Amino acid sequence: MKALGSSGWKGPVKFRMPTAENLVPIRLDIQSEGQRYKDAFTWNPSDPDNEVVVFAKRTVKDLKLPSAFITQIAQSIQSQLSDFRAYEGQDMYTGEKIIPIKLDLRVNHTLIKDQFLWDLNNFESDPEEFARTLCKDLGVEDPEVGPAVAFAIREQLYEIATQSVASAKESRLSKKSRRGSDHGSASKASGLSMDLVKLFSFKSSVVRKRKDLDVYEPVVDLLTSEEVDALEAREERHAR
Amino acid sequence: MEAIDSSAELELYTIPAQSSWFLWDDIHEIERREFEEFFSESSITRTPKVYKEYRDFIINKFREDTSRRLTFTSIRKFLVGDVNLLQKVFLFLDKWGLINFSPSLNDNDTLSSVDNAKVEQGTPAGIRVTATPNSLRPITAPPLVEQRTVSGVKLPPLTSYSDVFSDSKKPDDVLLCGHCAERCDSAFYQHNKSIVNICEKCFKNGSYGGENNAADDFKLVGDSAAALWTEEETLLLLESVLKHGDDWELIAQSVSTKSRLDCISKLIELPFGEFLMGSTSGRLSSAVPTEDEDTEQVKTDVQEHEETETREENEDEDGPPAKRKRVALISDSDSSLMKQVATMASKVGPSVATAAAKAAIAALCDEASCPKEIFDTGDYTDSTVDRADGDKDTEMEEQREEKDGPQGLPVALRIRASVATALGAAAAQAKILADQEEREMEDLAATVIDQQLKKVQSKLKFLDQLELIMDAEEEVIEGGKETILQERISVLQCAFRSGVTKRWDHTYVK
Repeated sequence: MKALGSSGWKGPVKFRMPTAENLVPIRLDIQSEGQRYKDAFTWNPSDPDNEVVVFAKRTVKDLKLPSAFITQIAQSIQSQLSDFRAYEGQDMYTGEKIIPIKLDLRVNHTLIKDQFLWDLNNFESDPEEFARTLCKDLGVEDPEVGPAVAFAIREQLYEIATQSVASAKESRLSKKSRRGSDHGSASKASGLSMDLVKLFSFKSSVVRKRKDLDVYEPVVDLLTSEEVDALEAREERHAR
Repeated sequence: MEAIDSSAELELYTIPAQSSWFLWDDIHEIERREFEEFFSESSITRTPKVYKEYRDFIINKFREDTSRRLTFTSIRKFLVGDVNLLQKVFLFLDKWGLINFSPSLNDNDTLSSVDNAKVEQGTPAGIRVTATPNSLRPITAPPLVEQRTVSGVKLPPLTSYSDVFSDSKKPDDVLLCGHCAERCDSAFYQHNKSIVNICEKCFKNGSYGGENNAADDFKLVGDSAAALWTEEETLLLLESVLKHGDDWELIAQSVSTKSRLDCISKLIELPFGEFLMGSTSGRLSSAVPTEDEDTEQVKTDVQEHEETETREENEDEDGPPAKRKRVALISDSDSSLMKQVATMASKVGPSVATAAAKAAIAALCDEASCPKEIFDTGDYTDSTVDRADGDKDTEMEEQREEKDGPQGLPVALRIRASVATALGAAAAQAKILADQEEREMEDLAATVIDQQLKKVQSKLKFLDQLELIMDAEEEVIEGGKETILQERISVLQCAFRSGVTKRWDHTYVK
């Protein structure tokens, strides 16, 4: 651990999305007057706030939803944005945090399962680029898959980042002297971080072991319409 | 554009030349610059060792099957680490051509975005295809096939030579006289300041049209009639050159429509024209009348090149002319060899070629132990028979086969003779070139020595001048010394006269 302390320590950085572009994942799920609107997209928090209402209005118009949705949509977006902004002033430790990101999502007829490692400290990371490459390499034709994948990645990153802020606050409160990197901060990461030390040392190789290969391999399934319907019905039941 | 890089398994992989800096055992400067994060010791997950492992793994993975395009997703599962970083390494290797460099693999990107490959047939707009009258066959521009895929190989032009001189002439530009609005068929006069052209007739009539009144303002431009050479005229020209050699008056007469200068310029323009002129000027008038007629038959051979050169060798060899003739009419499969022989024979002078031929024949005959006389078939009967047969190659072959019987001159032997001649000619040429080189070297050495001598001489001159100057100065100084002495004496005298003390004297007495 001592060796790590000298090489790996990074000071806290201000909270932001640890990606090249600071975009917030916004999820909407609004039900009203018998209609349900579910959506997920990324929003640029530096956009002026009036844009939210404009967006809500346009969405309602495009999807021909009842106008009651406008305010609900706008409200939902605003609250999520303000949550995000609440975190913004605070510190987070991103040190040596390489986390596994899991994908398990269905977009129309395409089912994707995947797992890979993401470095929280890499502020040049680009979920959209990753999603593009994934879809291109796997030959996914549905253009909605890429953005969905990117969104899923962003959501997870967002969550980890907020956790990191929380734990940073907590550690400051408890006045623990933090020497070295924050391997203990996120519980999820700590286990992996230990492995990291072992993995990236001189003795071992960064080539993954055979037993882990299946886990980290992307799997894409194309579903038939019946399967899609069945799955959707099951999801509805779970939601209720 | 390919460099050979041998991998550890001692198999040869070809990689693009721009990535030849890559070494398995080392990390190159380019890589260090690109991936500073690995080398700055800022984190345990990014070390040079890690980078090297990533890189080597990806390249090896690609080389397992170089024909398929390696995708990032397929290798990402194998490597532990931030996927963004891995992608960066992957893209870096792709960009530098260390992976996915085969031409066939690059289609994927383009095909996905552009569905059809653009195929252009025919000539692109920039090239104008005209059958220039100077050549016996039209020059066709190659059909350019442009595709989005990489090949981009341009087919070489179909002509055997490129007609450089025809570009300057534009035979298909129709010039209209500015005044009478008729075509300027032959010469036309161009005004110096404006772009008005008037035809000859108008110029002679003095009607220049409009404000262009001064006759001086017009200059005669181009003689378009004289510029056009039809096939017959070219042929006539060549024949007359062969017949008359340097006598341009006679040539101009035989080629009736062209003036002397035109003939000369045309001959120069023809690709072999200079050879012709050189060979004819050195030629003795051993021109046999039949040879001209032979040229008529020979002209129906495949290409103009060959034809003229065989004609040349007909002229050039004073030796066994008839043998040459028949050799020239050998069937097509040998024509390339003959062409080579012809080229070589034409390059060296006639006497050298004959000497080579004679020597070759002698050697062959010694080998084959057959008398040399069989090669001396210089009889007119052959040529008359040949002539009578007209232009068909097949008939020529028959002739030749007939001749085989009585002459006992097998084709193989003739071929060997010609090959030996060619080799002899080539050897002579080589010797000449070598001698030339030697002379040149000696020349250069002499020049260098000259220069050195000149340098030394100028230095000597300089020193001489210096010496003169020194001498002059010495004299001046001597003079100065004298005057000083004089002055001293006078001072002493004055001192004596005025009765100066002894002490003072002492100081001045040396």
